[in-house]
Amino acid sequence: MPSRAYPGALIVVEGTDGSGKSTQLYLLKRWLEIGGYRLHFTEWNSSPLVKSATRRGKQRRLLTPTTFSLLHAADFADRCERQIMPLLQGDYLVLADRYIYTAFARDAARGCPGRWLRNLYRFAPVPDITFYFRAPLDVAVNRILSGRPKLKYYEAGMDMALSYDRAESFRLFQARILEEYDKMVDSDSFVVLDGTLPVNKLQKQMRDIVASKIDLKRFAPGLPAPE
Amino acid sequence: MSDQEKEKEKLNVPVAPADLSHATGTPLPAAKPGGPGEDGTAQYFYGEALVGFDPSEITGNLIVIEGMDGSGRSTQIALLQEWLESEGFAVQTSGLRRSNLVGRDIDELLAKNAVTRLTLALMYATDFFDQVEHRVLPALRSGTVVLADRFIFTLVARGVVRGINRDYLSGLYAMALRPHLTFWLNVRPETAFAREFKKAQAISYWEAGRDMSLSHDLYWSFIRYQTMIKREFEVMAKRHSFIELDGEASVSAVNKQLRQRIGDQLGIRATKYTPSAALAHLWR
Repeated sequence: MPSRAYPGALIVVEGTDGSGKSTQLYLLKRWLEIGGYRLHFTEWNSSPLVKSATRRGKQRRLLTPTTFSLLHAADFADRCERQIMPLLQGDYLVLADRYIYTAFARDAARGCPGRWLRNLYRFAPVPDITFYFRAPLDVAVNRILSGRPKLKYYEAGMDMALSYDRAESFRLFQARILEEYDKMVDSDSFVVLDGTLPVNKLQKQMRDIVASKIDLKRFAPGLPAPE
Repeated sequence: MSDQEKEKEKLNVPVAPADLSHATGTPLPAAKPGGPGEDGTAQYFYGEALVGFDPSEITGNLIVIEGMDGSGRSTQIALLQEWLESEGFAVQTSGLRRSNLVGRDIDELLAKNAVTRLTLALMYATDFFDQVEHRVLPALRSGTVVLADRFIFTLVARGVVRGINRDYLSGLYAMALRPHLTFWLNVRPETAFAREFKKAQAISYWEAGRDMSLSHDLYWSFIRYQTMIKREFEVMAKRHSFIELDGEASVSAVNKQLRQRIGDQLGIRATKYTPSAALAHLWR
């Protein structure tokens, strides 16, 4: 593996909507925070810089698969250049709720060419661990539909005209995304976790894997970032 | 191998490790190379076809005018539009930062100067493709002549001089339409400076490449920056068979050459033209 230019570590969670990944990352973050480790948490699609453009594009339904993908890449580039890279260089543990694989899965499901997508995001640092929370389609979709009845237009994949029914469109879209995620398990070294397990069991697995793969002592309390 | 195929080869090179100074992780595995479709995709796009687009629908012509600020692009486009309309052709124009999606957002980012180079490059790409999909392609489908005031070449040049990997940018614009004609109005940076200064009595921060810390002196910053951009254009001129015109020549002389080449492309025999009273002030 080529040497890398930063001392920090990057932990990423991925999975379809309703796979339980955000809950699990939150619990991991709490565990590390309570332990006093140096960490930063980042979410997909949260940069204020392009927020207004994204909102406008979604409200007026101006977005096509290509511009949808580019706008999210611009948003990610902003976070990457201003937060993720500097923090990794400054020896932080960075926890990311969704990462470039979300774009690979979702944009490929919309028809964007895989090679184009891979190029688009090749400035992104490769994670130290990528947890892939895998839940069967019905489980994940039902979790979302029961708790959040109002699906947004793009979230439901209505732009692809898969179905006139929003819930059905969402299901078909999520099925495509799940298929794209599954294709990346080996090529991108995902650590696959079973999203149907009880929350605390899953969290135990996650913590054990983090502790075994990452030298947490380096981020421990009382240790300032090395020069 | 035809020139066009060679071109395609260049733009389709497998992704080399990115040379963005901060992008240092293991390169991501490249997706499987699935060549562009057999349906004439390469004739219309540099690499990949745009999602959901059928190239056989194109009946119009895409004509690109490139050149630095002060090279006379906008003047020539205004004149060409009038000439083409008088010849009975429908004309649509496009340019940088004109998309409904993010045109104004980019203006704001530039005004605040609070944006990193990669984010800005991707916002420009979003702006570009929004115009391609919502303005250029619909026009080309209906047989319209599209006059593009700059194209991917300016965007690539600006990125490259700021240290963004050339292959990265080529890949980004692999779904860009291949123009029917690309003109490059080549002028010396000194001439461009004088023209721009005369126009606005000032030189903007970005035009002078002030973000690149080339010089504290505005004039030298402009000259150095535009010289770097010009070098990138010289590289691309060969690769992309630009039609290079001397932008230092008079407006009417440049316009005549443009009309001749465009006339050939569109099958307009007589290319005589004198601007109307509304545009006469441009004709000097």
